[in-house]
Amino acid sequence: MWQVIKSVLAAFFGVQKEQQRKKDFEEGRPMTFIIVGLLMALVLVVGIFLLATTAAE
Amino acid sequence: MAPKLPPQQPLQTPAEQAGDGAATAGHVNEGYHHGPSGLMRWLLTTNHKEIGTLYLIFSLSMFFIGGIFALVVRAELFQPGLQLVQPEFFNQMTTMHGLIMVFGAVMPGFVGLANWMIPLQVGAPDMALPRLNNFSFWLLPVAFTLLLSTLLMPGGGPNFGWTFYAPLSTTYAPPSTTFFILSLHIAGISSILGAINIIATILNLRAPGMRMMDMPLFVWTWLITAFLLIAVMPVLAGVITMMLMDINFGTSFFNAAGGGDPVMFQHIFWFFGHPEVYIMILPAFGIVSAIIPTFARKRLFGYASMVYATSSIAILSFLVWAHHMFAVGLPLVAELFFMYTTMLIAVPTGVKVFNWIATLFQGSISFETPMLFALAFVVLFTIGGFSGLMLAIAPADFQYHDTYFVVAHFHYVLVPGAVFAIMAAVYYWLPKWTGHYPNERLGRWHFWTSVIGVNLTFFPMHFSGLAGMPRRIPDYALQFADFNMASSIGALLFGTSQLLFVLMIIKCVRGGEKAPAKAWEGAEDLEWTVPSPAPLHTFDTPPQFHHREG
Amino acid sequence: MRNLAGVVAAIGGSVWLTRSALADGWNMPLGVTDVSRDIHGLHMTIFWICVVIGIVVFGVMFYSLFRYRRSRGAKSAHFHENTTVEVIWTAIPLLILIGMALPATATLKEMYDAEDADLDVMVTGQQWRWHYEYLGEDVSFISNMSTPRDQIDGAAAKGENYLLEVDQPLVLPVDRKVRFLLTSDDVVHSWWVPELAVKQDAIPGFVNENWVRIEEPGTYRGQCTELCGRDHGFMPVVVEAVSPEEFDTWLAERKEAAAREASGVDREWGMDELMTRGQKVYESVCASCHQVDGSGNPPVFPALANNPTLMEERDRHISTVINGVSGAPMPAFNSTLSPVEIAAVVTYERNAWGNETGDIVQPSEIQSQLE
Repeated sequence: MWQVIKSVLAAFFGVQKEQQRKKDFEEGRPMTFIIVGLLMALVLVVGIFLLATTAAE
Repeated sequence: MAPKLPPQQPLQTPAEQAGDGAATAGHVNEGYHHGPSGLMRWLLTTNHKEIGTLYLIFSLSMFFIGGIFALVVRAELFQPGLQLVQPEFFNQMTTMHGLIMVFGAVMPGFVGLANWMIPLQVGAPDMALPRLNNFSFWLLPVAFTLLLSTLLMPGGGPNFGWTFYAPLSTTYAPPSTTFFILSLHIAGISSILGAINIIATILNLRAPGMRMMDMPLFVWTWLITAFLLIAVMPVLAGVITMMLMDINFGTSFFNAAGGGDPVMFQHIFWFFGHPEVYIMILPAFGIVSAIIPTFARKRLFGYASMVYATSSIAILSFLVWAHHMFAVGLPLVAELFFMYTTMLIAVPTGVKVFNWIATLFQGSISFETPMLFALAFVVLFTIGGFSGLMLAIAPADFQYHDTYFVVAHFHYVLVPGAVFAIMAAVYYWLPKWTGHYPNERLGRWHFWTSVIGVNLTFFPMHFSGLAGMPRRIPDYALQFADFNMASSIGALLFGTSQLLFVLMIIKCVRGGEKAPAKAWEGAEDLEWTVPSPAPLHTFDTPPQFHHREG
Repeated sequence: MRNLAGVVAAIGGSVWLTRSALADGWNMPLGVTDVSRDIHGLHMTIFWICVVIGIVVFGVMFYSLFRYRRSRGAKSAHFHENTTVEVIWTAIPLLILIGMALPATATLKEMYDAEDADLDVMVTGQQWRWHYEYLGEDVSFISNMSTPRDQIDGAAAKGENYLLEVDQPLVLPVDRKVRFLLTSDDVVHSWWVPELAVKQDAIPGFVNENWVRIEEPGTYRGQCTELCGRDHGFMPVVVEAVSPEEFDTWLAERKEAAAREASGVDREWGMDELMTRGQKVYESVCASCHQVDGSGNPPVFPALANNPTLMEERDRHISTVINGVSGAPMPAFNSTLSPVEIAAVVTYERNAWGNETGDIVQPSEIQSQLE
């Protein structure tokens, strides 16, 4: 699971090692990545919102 | 889970008709076009190549109609004062120009390219849903005939800008607005059906051996675009339906006097509208990512990071809509949130530009016309990106908002951005479509006049905007006169130079230097394995795809 | 000829972006408030960041195009993907953006701090004019564009402040914090004065806030920046900033005039004075839609001349002007026109252009309806 999160984070950042990418595509199930990706997007939204709230004070 | 499909009907009996006399020799070398001929052939066609051609011709006609509207606007703005048209008509021209270019020229242009090229690039015999494909195309002429006819109706056509903010577009709108809503609904249905078809094709009809990460980037970007379309076109449908209710059925969604909320209109519109701008640019990224490696004779530097960047842009595009609304009085937290997300979107966009340039680095570069357009895309789109970055800074946006600076910004990303990419694609794939190379001399003339015209039109708009000229005004104060005159001259140059484009296409269809299957030395994708011109039916037997290693 | 020279200048300017961006009349004005200077600073910072990035990126690009062109015999290398390079070119923009976000956040917070204002001005957008009200001072007026039609149509030479001049400017004191409350009677407008760095949408049903503390006396001009219909381009904003003392004198005068106006409600008005006053009000407020000759612009704006329904229904005529028409463009004038003005304009409409009903509407009647 940790590896999935790391891969999704790498995708968010846009950089991933070729080897790890291959491994993800061969071993991982697309659904796990999609769900984790959506969750991480939500985390990103909440994170930026909290940042904006803090900055507004 | 494979859904049970009814057994495939034979499409037509061989007796019905052998290929009609196609004008170009070699076009029917596999001679099994069945079905009606003449006009009915085009009306009833389910062939992805023919539908692609229809889309492209439609897009080109709309490009000219929208262009003529733009020239009316620019002619009126040539000098201060009202000379040619009255403000009522001026507003209809700016509105129609925007609507026609966005929904009639750029979007169908990309769908046409998708129709032609996606089956060829993934090794599929046709689109997954050919009849639906025919339907999605023929909805468009209906929608746009209806839209254009509003100009002749009493009270005139839509005059509230392509963003049609309520209540100007509801309580204060001309009576023809209901027709405008209907036409947008029809165009929206067409887009959604087209998107469904593209997704079904890409996910189901790839050649054996072609994995997702083997797909050409044009296919990838279109896949993501199609998902964006499915996500946001219903939102547009929702907002125009609310308008319809406000206008005709006495509701008050956007009528403050009835307890409605005009700001809600803008939120819903831009929740559609911002992904919409990426719908108009992501396929362009795919095209440029095909052309640059071809003419640099070098593999794209970061294929995977391009895919990631495209996905990031798509996701972020849902989180930035209110940057179009920095001046509507959002709470401070919302301003900050949308400023931060908007700034973030610059990162994946930058990654794309860096990737293209790293691909050029140490390549072996030649400058055929498609490459010229692709390179101009990179430079001028980046300039549009820079002004986008400036607009993202919310405090400064209070000064830029709704001025010609914004007009300059989005025309830089849409004209030398999206439109140049479509033109690059046409030059790039014309040999595959017609079997002839486009005339290089004509192409160069078209390119240079377009580049000069575009910059002369849109660059001075940065200055007039910063100096204080609001957008969508039919007349302006004297200090903006010089900038506007330059823009008008540029627009005339850009507009007329598109006649060269048409001339080039006609010449290329009728003849020219014969192109082999692999028309460009550095081209790699599957479409270059079928003959030029591509026969009506290709990949009846799926090709075996061998992905390349390292 | 002046324009032709301008074209040449514009072409030259297109090339020499950096130089021209600093020149006068080509760039965002520095403005006359703290906030406007902060915004200008942000604008120039992000602009120079873009210029530097542009030089680097386009530099590498054009170097590659020149150095690795095939006609020169370049053979292509075969490298692709390099994690280090990719991390660097993702991280650097990210850092630049964070560096940019910090001052932008600070400026934005300053702009949003409209507390403790010395003066509140209500700005109301109407198709196609601005209405200003000094809250708590009983002073309010309408500000129309004053550029003559002849100049727009080219029948007369255009004046220096063509399209940027009004009959009554908004007068504001310098060195005092002025808070604007913005709203609209009809569609969305946007009130913008570049030198004050205030641009705020005026939205029906909403009241937006913005503020300004002007540092230099002067005349500052701007325009409506949100498409608001036919005369969107003819809806200028003019702010006249004066010293606090001058402002106080001016406000006192206006207050006195307003009081005189208010006392006019109680007396009986004659036909002639109502007609004279009514014509003025009509041409400033009503004529933009219903036309100077009352012919209107059907189907949206009904004709007032020779309109039998209107002539028959005197009471509805009055209540329409006072309350507007829900779901139609006609706004309510109860807050923007005084009882005298409403009475005068209704009288005028009922007797001008051959309507000749002979009806006189007294301000006192309007006053009682307003209460």
